[in-house]
Amino acid sequence: MRWNRALAVKRLKRAALFVAVLAIAVWTLAPVVWLGISSITPYNELISDRETHWLPRNPTLANYRVMFDVSRQTGERFVYALRNSFIVASSVTVVCLVAGTLAAYALARLPVRGKHALVLGLMSIRMLPTIALVIPFFVIVSYIDYAFLNMGWEFHLFDTKFNLVILYTTFILGFIIWIMRGFFLTVPSELEEAARIDGCTKMQALYRVILPLSAPGLVATGILAFLSAWDEFLLALIFTRSTNSATLPLFIAELGSQYITAYDQISAAGMMAAIPPVVLALLFQRFIVRGLTAGSVKG
Amino acid sequence: MASYGRELDDHRLARRLLAPSAILIMLVVIAPLIFAFILSLHQAEPMVGGIEMKPVGFSNYSYFLTQSGLFWPSVRVTIYFTVVSLLIELVLGIGMALVLDADFPGRSFMRAIILIPWALPTVVNARMWEWIFSGSKYGALNGLMKVLRIFPSSHDAVWLGFDAPLAGVPVIGGFLKWLGVTKALNMIIIADTWKVTPLVVLLVLAGLQTIPGSLYEAATVDGAGFFRKLTLITLPLLKPVLLVILVLRTMELFRVFDIIYIIMQYSIRVVGVLTYEVGMKFLHFGRGAALSFLIALFILGLAAIYVRLFYSDAER
Repeated sequence: MRWNRALAVKRLKRAALFVAVLAIAVWTLAPVVWLGISSITPYNELISDRETHWLPRNPTLANYRVMFDVSRQTGERFVYALRNSFIVASSVTVVCLVAGTLAAYALARLPVRGKHALVLGLMSIRMLPTIALVIPFFVIVSYIDYAFLNMGWEFHLFDTKFNLVILYTTFILGFIIWIMRGFFLTVPSELEEAARIDGCTKMQALYRVILPLSAPGLVATGILAFLSAWDEFLLALIFTRSTNSATLPLFIAELGSQYITAYDQISAAGMMAAIPPVVLALLFQRFIVRGLTAGSVKG
Repeated sequence: MASYGRELDDHRLARRLLAPSAILIMLVVIAPLIFAFILSLHQAEPMVGGIEMKPVGFSNYSYFLTQSGLFWPSVRVTIYFTVVSLLIELVLGIGMALVLDADFPGRSFMRAIILIPWALPTVVNARMWEWIFSGSKYGALNGLMKVLRIFPSSHDAVWLGFDAPLAGVPVIGGFLKWLGVTKALNMIIIADTWKVTPLVVLLVLAGLQTIPGSLYEAATVDGAGFFRKLTLITLPLLKPVLLVILVLRTMELFRVFDIIYIIMQYSIRVVGVLTYEVGMKFLHFGRGAALSFLIALFILGLAAIYVRLFYSDAER
């Protein structure tokens, strides 16, 4: 009798756990699944009654095809935005990794005057709201461009990918240095000392010993940098205008206005903008979790 | 490197390694911040080939603090957004982390898919929820309500509406209205929470890993139930992680811009949206800079508290 009751309680607990897990799965996936369904639904079915229509009767890839049809304006803008996003996010990642790794190594291993203050300063930059820098950026960029114009140069910053890379880099760099420093601190300094005894210079020790050992950290920070740059909206909103530099977030925000509900196209563009970061997140899940926790829990 | 007869001494090497980052940060963060402060002390408006600046002392600051009818309501609505989002994120995040910490088949799969909302770009998140909340018969939430028989099929709710929730309830209704709460704001809180909760879950899960299992075994021997274990072991030992989440998220929520601007444009004026409106829509650069400085000061103040709590905890 008692054995039976214990079994019943155990089964009840299993059932409760199962329900909870299911609820989490539905809560997490349902909105994205709906986005996916919307993206393959023809417009006239999409704006029909939900009581009877959830799945498309005539699923179509037309919404995706529109995005890659460069002969039309939407397609042209999408393809450029996709390209701009890739170029900007990859450049930001490379610059952040190179500059950030060097700085993080110095902050983790070498004597730096006011090191404590520097590390705290880096964190403060991460905390700074983008909006606080947007206005001075805007005025400075206008001044610089006007100066170039007066000098008769064919060069300007506004509406260029170069400008976006610089602005994004600085926001993301502080965060990258912060996380990389956390990873470097976990590499035992004895290994580095052993390399030094074997005749390596400090830099060689960094390249040959510390970097290979912190490879997971490099991957994690690189992906975090890429995701942050891929996601950025406010700076793109202000500093881009044309296909020359407009990124995907801007393209999606501008697809359709308040008065047009082009949700078939928005869903398709949204799915495509979501694929790179989601795939990266799923592939490198373990690294990313380590990176996030190294950055915010360990310090 | 080996060709160097003598190695650089540590201080010089450190300076060289820091230089690229330092130059970038000086040029693109520190200098603009100083310039923003100067701007904030001027009446600065655009003109051909630059801006026109007229020194006005601290009147841009006092304008917002005392004159503008928009500043304090925007602070109130931002605080509501921050506090309510935080509460939901913490409760949901801890709850989901506890579930995902349990042993069940497919656990690693669940832990992977939980990252999807977090990885989704903010703009896509905003547009996706806008579509779910969209009114009339095609909105997914309205559809769901009808399928679940919560709404009769003739009824369609305007989820992103401007009416205050609980407006009919005496004290609470008036208070919510004073805070500037609208139905749309609450819906956006749900959308934002959906995206960010996974981050909380991951951090809490990492925190749970540091709690030794022997504590739970001992508690079980002593006859403690689930809730006693939660309140006496789990939550106290999660305190450092929870503190980090709390302060980190407070700062991010307080400066919210993207999701609210994309869904509602200027109709929910949290401080981020108000700053954007003043500075970049009406092009009052001086006032906008002053406003952004007020927000930055608030957030940096929070950062200072964060650092203090955090460092005293880490270094003991």
